[in-house]
Amino acid sequence: MSEQSPQPNGDAATDGDARDPSGFLSEIIGAPVTVKLNSGVVYKGDLQSVDGYMNIALERAKEYVDGEMKRNYGDAFVRGNNVMYIAADM
Amino acid sequence: MLFFSFFKTLVNHEVTVELKNDISIRGTLKSVDQYLNIKLDDISVVEEMKYPHLSSVKNVFIRGSVVRYVHLPAAAVDTPLLEDATRREASQAVAKAKQG
Amino acid sequence: MADNDQSNSVSEPLDLVRLSLDEVVFVKLRGDRELKGRLHAYDSHCNIVLGEVEETIYTIEEDDEGEETVKTTKKQAEMLFVRGESFVLISPQPPS
Repeated sequence: MSEQSPQPNGDAATDGDARDPSGFLSEIIGAPVTVKLNSGVVYKGDLQSVDGYMNIALERAKEYVDGEMKRNYGDAFVRGNNVMYIAADM
Repeated sequence: MLFFSFFKTLVNHEVTVELKNDISIRGTLKSVDQYLNIKLDDISVVEEMKYPHLSSVKNVFIRGSVVRYVHLPAAAVDTPLLEDATRREASQAVAKAKQG
Repeated sequence: MADNDQSNSVSEPLDLVRLSLDEVVFVKLRGDRELKGRLHAYDSHCNIVLGEVEETIYTIEEDDEGEETVKTTKKQAEMLFVRGESFVLISPQPPS
């Protein structure tokens, strides 16, 4: 029941940019994101969840090929090994 | 382990293995291992004219990593059983991830 | 600790796939291939088994003038095991 041990620098924990990469990912759950795959295909949608393999679940995802919108998915699961990056949309 | 167990239930059935280089090999599934390497007997190559180099081969061992698809006889697959086994394996995987 | 309530929620990405069991799904593969079929099994590597499958393959064809066009080939399969390595994306609903 004890609290998780705090980070060495307590102030940094409140600052999103100072977190580790998976900390960034858990912070942007629910937010609109851009996911680029190694193939160049881009998905834009709301980030439902991510796991340690960078498997991704997106809600209302739009698929872009060569910058052109190709498809709409209500939900989509992307296998992590195909992911180049996940960016939080501003 | 799910698909290893699944393929073991299909031993002695006719399957067609489609490789990543587009060659399709039909034969009797003789054995499978944990990597999903596959042994086929009495094989024939679909589109034999296009791939004549396998025409004298009777039995093959296929490395799991070169497989794209395995076409299965639908009659040999108990789909409700397979879906239950999938759910069981999924909850085990979640439990493992939490303790680990 | 006490969250045994994982049956319907999407708390990790693979839950989305679990909730698609016995439903018709759309799957995108490497090499410009797509599948539509009923999802009967999957594992953590994204190996899957689909039933009543329609496969669509997109290839680039060059005609006599060197003009490139996309050709689509459709194939049917009654039951198909798909190796996870080829797997890119799965969606529970057909895309629009």
